[in-house]
Amino acid sequence: MSNPEESKLKENCSNQRECLEMLQLILDGEATPEQKANFKSHVDECMPCYQHYHFDQAIKELLKVKCSHEAPTELIASIKSKISAIK
Amino acid sequence: MNKLSCFSVQTFALLRGWDFYHRGAKDQVQIIVPRKSYLVYFLLLLPNMEEEEVPRNSYSDKQKQDIFDNEFMPHINAMYNFAYRLTLDRDDAKDLLQDTYLKAFRFINSFQQGTNAKAWLFRILKNSFINDYRKKTKEPNKVDYQEVESYYNSEDVDRQITPDLRVESLKDMIGDEISNALNALDVDFRTVIILCDLEGFKYEEMAKILDIPIGTVRSRLHRARNLLKEKLSEYAKQMGYNKST
Repeated sequence: MSNPEESKLKENCSNQRECLEMLQLILDGEATPEQKANFKSHVDECMPCYQHYHFDQAIKELLKVKCSHEAPTELIASIKSKISAIK
Repeated sequence: MNKLSCFSVQTFALLRGWDFYHRGAKDQVQIIVPRKSYLVYFLLLLPNMEEEEVPRNSYSDKQKQDIFDNEFMPHINAMYNFAYRLTLDRDDAKDLLQDTYLKAFRFINSFQQGTNAKAWLFRILKNSFINDYRKKTKEPNKVDYQEVESYYNSEDVDRQITPDLRVESLKDMIGDEISNALNALDVDFRTVIILCDLEGFKYEEMAKILDIPIGTVRSRLHRARNLLKEKLSEYAKQMGYNKST
């Protein structure tokens, strides 16, 4: 790893299963502020969790950016006109 | 309209004393035509009706139009994307979206202003997909929920990110890979990722949209993300292979 600070990190997480569950809650905005603070301090010293966190965050962002299609404009117009016709 | 629903509508209407008139010559088979066809149409939809579709309000025409324009239409791109990701077919997505918006307008009196219109619409779309489209899609529903739950509790959860897949390799992906990986997932797994990661719904909202407990939302999301990573890892391997040749 090029980042010198990363050499201080633990190479193995003793609590990985709970950490992965917590990571999901954090990324999905479902964690309490206390859970967030605990996780943050853990990630600062645990290499696997640090990697998981950044990796999962990157996927989440990538999904949001790359997987959205806009509705075709003619479809929007067609729905609007059908609704007007109902009334 | 299938025979059963036709029968149940007639039975239901007759039991309630609603009057139908009979048309046709004496010797011919009589065709029952409802006098109030909109009522029958409403009844036909009864089996599919959920809590959200029970009328609670009686909005004026202007209010209906305002709700439709200001609360429903702003979600049309997200709704189209959901329809497309469910059906994986642009024509089906158009039909599904149109059906959903027409249904939403028809049931607008069961929408409570000030509540989450996006979640309400997504739920109607999801139900329409299950009722009208899922049957005809080639993809069977393969999700074994028992397996999903047990997976979440298994030690498999502890596995590491595959070495082929790192943040750096994700950044090399141009977009088709992640979109294809998402589309390759079973529809139930695809759905939770769309709702959570693309649309930002909370677990509680997802539970309502999908009619599943929050615990299942969490475990299904976890499983879905692992499957997505497996797919991405395959692409990353292919990319590595291509680079070295």
